[in-house]
Amino acid sequence: MIALASVSGVLSKYGWWIVSRSSGIVAFVLITISVLIGLTMAGKPVRDPRFTKNMRAVHEQTALAGLVAIAVHGLAIFLDPWLKPGVAGVTVPFALGVHTFWTGLGVIAGYLAMLLGLSFYLRRQIGAKLWRKAHRATIAVYVLGLFHALGAGTDTGSLLFLCFAAATAVPIAILFVYRLGATRRSSERRHAARRARVREAGRAAYERAVYDTA
Amino acid sequence: MTTPRPRAVVIGSLSLFVVLFVVLTFELSASASTSAGKAKANAKARPAPAETKTETAPEVEEEVPGEYAEPEEPGAEYVEPETEYIEPEPEYAEPEPEYEYIEPEVEEAPPVVTGSS
Repeated sequence: MIALASVSGVLSKYGWWIVSRSSGIVAFVLITISVLIGLTMAGKPVRDPRFTKNMRAVHEQTALAGLVAIAVHGLAIFLDPWLKPGVAGVTVPFALGVHTFWTGLGVIAGYLAMLLGLSFYLRRQIGAKLWRKAHRATIAVYVLGLFHALGAGTDTGSLLFLCFAAATAVPIAILFVYRLGATRRSSERRHAARRARVREAGRAAYERAVYDTA
Repeated sequence: MTTPRPRAVVIGSLSLFVVLFVVLTFELSASASTSAGKAKANAKARPAPAETKTETAPEVEEEVPGEYAEPEEPGAEYVEPETEYIEPEPEYAEPEPEYEYIEPEVEEAPPVVTGSS
């Protein structure tokens, strides 16, 4: 009975704060998984179209679930009776009086996640090429979220969280560097192919001109 | 191989949320029940607010006896703001009298000679 009373007391006093902590961790985990899958897919490790389709589905689902978790995280902070951040504290970066810099990074990460995540459904309107370029900036959501968690998070000192962050940050960094290299290699290949085409066309035109004059 | 359903991600996320919620709740209630953990729990729970937080007056919460205690080492101790009181210099100056008192001159009247000789 005493334990139950203690739990109910904690919930009445710190309920929204516990919700914000839990949803923040869930959001970070989901965004991390989504970014990890996205970077892995970009490297095209497996050419099987079914595997790619499944990976894309999980990538999309985790990203959407992450967006919902971010929204719950923001709502719980807004409803925290101790913090009383107001609308500006939750929606305007660097407006919250507690951990101002780190929470500001979190607000920016939230906006970026919404913008870049939901732009997937507008890629026909904005153009696939532009969308693909913008979608590469999603790594910024992960980096800002990581710094936000480490700077403002209450549970980021726990060994479990640090292990998860380290275990995912290292492969994400490696995959990101690999992707940058792959993009450069692909761009070089495209340029070389274009140069070869131009050279071929020039040679053909020259041969045609020689043939016509002969 | 079938396409994974969104339900799996939703169930997984919700499960993680519920587990974290329960663990954090019990962790807080356990640390609040021990006297040593009370201060730690409160200090961990509520970091000292920055300057902008002081704009709103802090609410006085009713304490349930034997449930929560204020932190032994409060993070944000109210310090009386040091204000220097400067005595305002009186600008009012006593007006100096512009008039001078002039002793009225008394004309000397010629002596009246009376009497018979």
